[in-house]
Amino acid sequence: MSRRLTVVLLVMLVLVGAMGLKTVVATHGDGSVMMANGGGGPVPPSPWKNGGGGPVPPSPWKNGGGGPVPPSPWK
Amino acid sequence: MLGPYTYCTWLVCSVLEAGVVVCAIKAGAFRRYLPLNLWMLLELLSGLSRFYVLHSYGLKSKEYSYFYYYSEALATIALYFALSSLYAHVLEELKVESYVRMGAVLLLVGTAIFSYSIVRQSADRMTTRFVVEMSQNLYFVGLVLTYLLWGAILKLRETRTRLIQFVLSLGVLFSLFAANYALRNLYPDLRWLWGSLPQLFDCFLPLAWCYTFLRIPEEARIAPARLAVAPR
Repeated sequence: MSRRLTVVLLVMLVLVGAMGLKTVVATHGDGSVMMANGGGGPVPPSPWKNGGGGPVPPSPWKNGGGGPVPPSPWK
Repeated sequence: MLGPYTYCTWLVCSVLEAGVVVCAIKAGAFRRYLPLNLWMLLELLSGLSRFYVLHSYGLKSKEYSYFYYYSEALATIALYFALSSLYAHVLEELKVESYVRMGAVLLLVGTAIFSYSIVRQSADRMTTRFVVEMSQNLYFVGLVLTYLLWGAILKLRETRTRLIQFVLSLGVLFSLFAANYALRNLYPDLRWLWGSLPQLFDCFLPLAWCYTFLRIPEEARIAPARLAVAPR
């Protein structure tokens, strides 16, 4: 029983570590897909990027209230 | 427009992938490393089918796009099981095969649940988003698992050279892709360079594995644990 629990704990640790790493990388990345790219062949554009053909709207949480962004309090 | 560089690296990569399977059969190690060989066969098949789809529909077609990402997801899952089989090889003396299998399945299910929780709010193309998200998450899980496996090899003082060579070349491959991604974000002006390097990286792993099957016999031994011991 304790061995099985150890396996579950290890699995959760690996999952948390991998997803944490992915979050850090994706936060600083340009939003492109990162995968092992095996099998060869050129990478196609993402099937859902600009899918409808219209322009991309601004993010709803950027400059939300319309006012100017205040300076950082720690600078 | 695809240039000769793309076709050349694609061809070399496919030949090397076929070479891995041929070398494994020649070395009498096809069944011993069955998941690795099946993954290589799947990569080869995936590359050949992509070539067919690309020439039938074109690079910017939806058909190629979907085929590429779905075949990539299948190949990543196969890579994941190949990596799990390496764990089973390294830990075989501890008699924990059933726990390795259980851990592999749990981790795959956990990654699938995590991927689903990310894409579940997408109304359109949810399956495709899930497939891409899952491949990407499995890539990171594979990266972490490979480094952990290298740690286990050092800790358990594994001496089988062939096994060490397989694990190290996988680690180098993952690190090359990660470094390329990081550099692409650091120096976006050189996008043409970062976009063309992964095709070269693709050739590295089958080349390293061909060398391993051809030149390193199953009985060869090395002591990697000595590398970790700091001299006093």
